[in-house]
Amino acid sequence: MAYSSSALRSISSLKSSAARSHASAIVPTKPSLLSFKLAQNPCLLTKTTSSGNFSGTKRSFSCRSQASSTENSRPVQELSVYEINERDRGSPAYLRLSQKSVNSLGDLVPFSNKLYTGDLQKRVGITAGICVLIQNKPEKKGDRYEAIYSFYFGDYGHIAVQGSYLTYEDTYLAVTGGSGIFEGVYGQVKLQQLVFPFKLFYTFYLKGMTKDVPAELLGKAVEPSPAVEPSPAAKACEPNAVIANYTD
Amino acid sequence: MASSSYLKPISSHRLSNPRSQPHFQSQQQLGFAHSQAFATRHLKLSKAAHDQDHFSAKRCSKDFTTRAFFFNKKPKSPPVSPKPTKVQELSVYEINERDRGSPAFLKLSQKPQNSLGDLVPFSNKLYSGDLQKRLGITCGLCVLIQHVPEKKGDRYEATYSFYFGDYGHISVQGAYLTYEDTCLAVTGGSGIFEGVYGQVKLRQLVFPIKLFYTFYLKGIADLPAELLGNAAVIPSPSVEPAPAAKATEPHGIIKNFTN
Repeated sequence: MAYSSSALRSISSLKSSAARSHASAIVPTKPSLLSFKLAQNPCLLTKTTSSGNFSGTKRSFSCRSQASSTENSRPVQELSVYEINERDRGSPAYLRLSQKSVNSLGDLVPFSNKLYTGDLQKRVGITAGICVLIQNKPEKKGDRYEAIYSFYFGDYGHIAVQGSYLTYEDTYLAVTGGSGIFEGVYGQVKLQQLVFPFKLFYTFYLKGMTKDVPAELLGKAVEPSPAVEPSPAAKACEPNAVIANYTD
Repeated sequence: MASSSYLKPISSHRLSNPRSQPHFQSQQQLGFAHSQAFATRHLKLSKAAHDQDHFSAKRCSKDFTTRAFFFNKKPKSPPVSPKPTKVQELSVYEINERDRGSPAFLKLSQKPQNSLGDLVPFSNKLYSGDLQKRLGITCGLCVLIQHVPEKKGDRYEATYSFYFGDYGHISVQGAYLTYEDTCLAVTGGSGIFEGVYGQVKLRQLVFPIKLFYTFYLKGIADLPAELLGNAAVIPSPSVEPAPAAKATEPHGIIKNFTN
């Protein structure tokens, strides 16, 4: 398949870019100093029923500005995860709909890989979504995709992202929203490719969350490199190496 | 009223756990009792948050050390009340009346059973929660992620929008499981929904032709009465839109409903 031959090309180009990403600072994943401990229970915010209460827009706009000042008082939360393709999910599915011999606009690549905590000690869930090939970049020996996908964190919820995926370079994607504990989230996520297309390292910069990211997801991240592997217990989904109802 | 009391338990169910459990009905009752406790607890916590912000902003040199002492001990502060973000609930029904050529199941994986690679663009009709008015349509794409044999269903990653005629639209992204309720992320909107964020609970009534959604929307002005309508019809497989809405008669639609 043409896809695998382009994979070979991209691996060689990636080694040099991997060296580059090592030189750049790896952002630490410690929760920031201002974080205050919330109760562990999954309570969410107060809800005001809007039952027939439409007394003009002014009041709700002021609610919004006060709300954002309350929410902005919470600093950016960082979350690191590893996405690993273990080749047991039929992913990726390269749909060569452009019907051209070289990767071209029209090709679609639905995919779904496994997701592990940054310290590679726990399986949290999966990624799932689609990459739309935009253009092949022969001079970079890689491709530009527009990616729309989600990260699933079991009972905690999910984070939805959208943005560019370049097979030859790190990128930032937009965090478009989330559910569960990630409800209302916004911000961006840094994508670092370690081994194309099997291992990726992400650093989320999350804002607008109503709670702290649970400690379970915030272990000290393993230094990203092509050789990283999840812990055997996490890979085997043993009970102490998974989060509750990890997505599968 | 039976139907309005039904609405409350839905929201408290969200408070307890938005990822739906199989026994949705029983969870509602439990969740409601807890919602009041959760509400007050949140107020206390957000007071603390507000005061921390206050301290860091003020930098009053004289009192700083004294305040810092108290700050580090425990933020038990004078009752400043920050307004929590207002959540607005909006319920709608999505109904496939099989007259829009939807869904278009593209079996691109070329495998006999549903597999990664299959794509399902779709577009269905959208009605208000009380099923009295036709609002518009849904449209978007479901990407099949995996077939789940033990649940006799599939996991899709869905990216689509809800169109509300002249009012604007809401975009969502998240998981659609054919065998279970899910929560999707509200990624944005236009018109009156500009700047919206939050989540939406998807509840399937009849696969794949009737679905009930409850939006939990933040960041927007109060929704117009026309969209909120009366109390939502209790979701069940046999719900049907009002004949006037289905026939798009003038009193059964919103202005320039999307079609």
